[in-house]
Amino acid sequence: MDALPRQAHAYWMGLRQKRRATERPLVSVVDDDESVRESLPDLVKEFGFAVRAFSSPEEFLASDFVRQTKCLILDIAMPGMSGTDLQRELKIRGHGIPIIFITASTDKTVRPRLLEQGAVECLFKPFSDAALLEALNVALRVN
Amino acid sequence: MEVQPEHASGEIKHLQRCINDLVSLLALPAVWSGGDPPQILHTLLDALIRMLRLDLASVRLEVPVGEVPIEIVRIAGLRGAMPPAHEICEALNQCLKNDSRKWPPLLQSLMGDGDVSIVPLPLGLQGELGVVVVATQRADFPQQTEALLLSVAANQASIGLQEARLLSHQKQLANELDQRVVQRTAELAAANEGLKQELAERKRAEQELQRSEAFLAEAQHLSRIGSFSWRVSTDEITWSEQLYRIFQIDRDARVTFELIGTRIHPEDLSVFQEQIERSRQDRSDVQLEFRLQMPDGAVKYVHVAAHIRGDRSQLEYIGAVQDVTERRSWEEALSKARSELAHVARITSLGVLTASIAHEVNQPLSGIVTNASTCLRMLAADPPNLDGARETARRTIRDGNRASEVVTRLRALFRKKETTNESVDLNDATREVVVLSSSELQRNRVILQQELADDLAAVAGDRVQLQQVILNLLRNASDAMSAVDDRPRQLLIRTEADEDNHVRLTVKDVGVGFSPHSADRLFESFYTTKNDGMGIGLSVSRSIIESHHGRLWATPNDGPGVTFSFSVPCRPEGLTTDGVDASRLPSVSDAA
Repeated sequence: MDALPRQAHAYWMGLRQKRRATERPLVSVVDDDESVRESLPDLVKEFGFAVRAFSSPEEFLASDFVRQTKCLILDIAMPGMSGTDLQRELKIRGHGIPIIFITASTDKTVRPRLLEQGAVECLFKPFSDAALLEALNVALRVN
Repeated sequence: MEVQPEHASGEIKHLQRCINDLVSLLALPAVWSGGDPPQILHTLLDALIRMLRLDLASVRLEVPVGEVPIEIVRIAGLRGAMPPAHEICEALNQCLKNDSRKWPPLLQSLMGDGDVSIVPLPLGLQGELGVVVVATQRADFPQQTEALLLSVAANQASIGLQEARLLSHQKQLANELDQRVVQRTAELAAANEGLKQELAERKRAEQELQRSEAFLAEAQHLSRIGSFSWRVSTDEITWSEQLYRIFQIDRDARVTFELIGTRIHPEDLSVFQEQIERSRQDRSDVQLEFRLQMPDGAVKYVHVAAHIRGDRSQLEYIGAVQDVTERRSWEEALSKARSELAHVARITSLGVLTASIAHEVNQPLSGIVTNASTCLRMLAADPPNLDGARETARRTIRDGNRASEVVTRLRALFRKKETTNESVDLNDATREVVVLSSSELQRNRVILQQELADDLAAVAGDRVQLQQVILNLLRNASDAMSAVDDRPRQLLIRTEADEDNHVRLTVKDVGVGFSPHSADRLFESFYTTKNDGMGIGLSVSRSIIESHHGRLWATPNDGPGVTFSFSVPCRPEGLTTDGVDASRLPSVSDAA
């Protein structure tokens, strides 16, 4: 009795793991803030997406996940390359990854500018899980 | 009578000569005509000596008292020097008195010592004109004919002298008249000259006046300044020409406040009327700026400066009105540029500050929200992911603490701001702030009334910080009245002694006020009713006042608006440095 469900659970988990790796679209999070890198991937995972977190644009570009990334959740202000720098770099390299910008800034004027330049959404921290989910759905439909 | 022919022929000759002499004597006045008395007397004496074969003839003419008598002596065939005439006359006079038949001793050396006949001949009816004395050594003198000749001569002489005297008198009168005419003429000429000069002077003065009037009018025209006077008791108003031009009012119109009111911008009319009433009562000098609205709708800005003069019954304001429209538009452009610059600077500094505050706070907030959302989702899963939920809940708490730390750091940052401790005269500080904000207040058409207490005690503290509070209260009051159009935007700033050795400053507006339940929130950070406000002004102001050991509070007015007051302790005698307590700035633990 005990073993079966546990086996079943393990099996199910294995399936989910497998599906996550193979079928679930990869969402990459790039933010220099550690608390975001800690919390956001868990939420995105809860939404049912595969997720990878990177502490800087440079790290992301150097990784093997650029091609697999179906959506990028990208902080704007970071030391070194900024979020918009990365957006430009990806365009140059021919990667049309949909981007959801997230920012702790209160300057509302950045949003229309970013949308104009092709971003799917720009969310101001703190944002709700619903807002993020909606943006992700839009991004993946575009994809 | 029997007449001897020889004797008769002699007699006839004698008579003929006598008649000739008479004719000569009668002709004398014609000779004398126009002559003066000495001339008359000379010819008279000469004629007598010649006609009567006299040895001596003299005359003494009476003259008015104080003048030298005219005395003339003629001696026939004079040889040698003659004694002075007046001595001879005197000597002859003596002889006549003594009835002497001899020459007086004075003349004996000259005339010899023979017998002599001396005959006096008075001139004028009573001898008042003088006397002629004739003398001859002939014993039969004067014969009948000679006596006749003498008498006729004396008469003729009298007449001649009278005429001469009359003539001389007439001459004198004529002379005097002439002199008076000359003198009068000279006086008239002088007066005329003076009059001419006066006229010329007046003309010049008139020209100068016209010139300076023209100068003044031109200067007023160029500088767009008109002048006026206002007699307070009668409301009699006088305007210069330029002022009619500025107000675009016909020159013939009688100037009244009613007429002036028709040209004042409707929004400024209450300010203007307020000022008139205040001027009536205060009798203090006036400085005022307001707008005019012309019949065609054009708006002019004018600056009025007036001072009062005269005594109580004849009080009069004399002043100038300058059309400052052009200057105003420059000023507005400048002020706009300045405020844009200030805005940019404020945005830059405040923006940087708020951005960093927001950034610092939003990061942990974001973590809290995300973790909490994840936590809820994990708990809602089937089966619930309790481990994951526990982990995300733990992170939520951690991020909450992080947010709190951020606020603590910000407070610490504010607290580091240095405060100085000096003696501050709150009246002076207020006046400076009023001057700084007067153009802004005027632009917002705020009527500012100051009631600054005399002999206000000094407070101890940071002058600049206290002025920031005053400025903030003034600005808030002005902003609160920006939508008020149905009543004058009156703002009262007052200083007074408060109980407990405190000094109180009050700012009272008639603005929109606040609802009772928001009173508690007024002083909270980031609480604002303004669209463009940060909501930190009153919070910072309260921090500043509390650091001065005082308190800041707000009360709604009975009528519209709010009264903000702060009360701070007076500077104690002999205070040194320990006035402001920076540690009393509100800390995070107070707020949390």
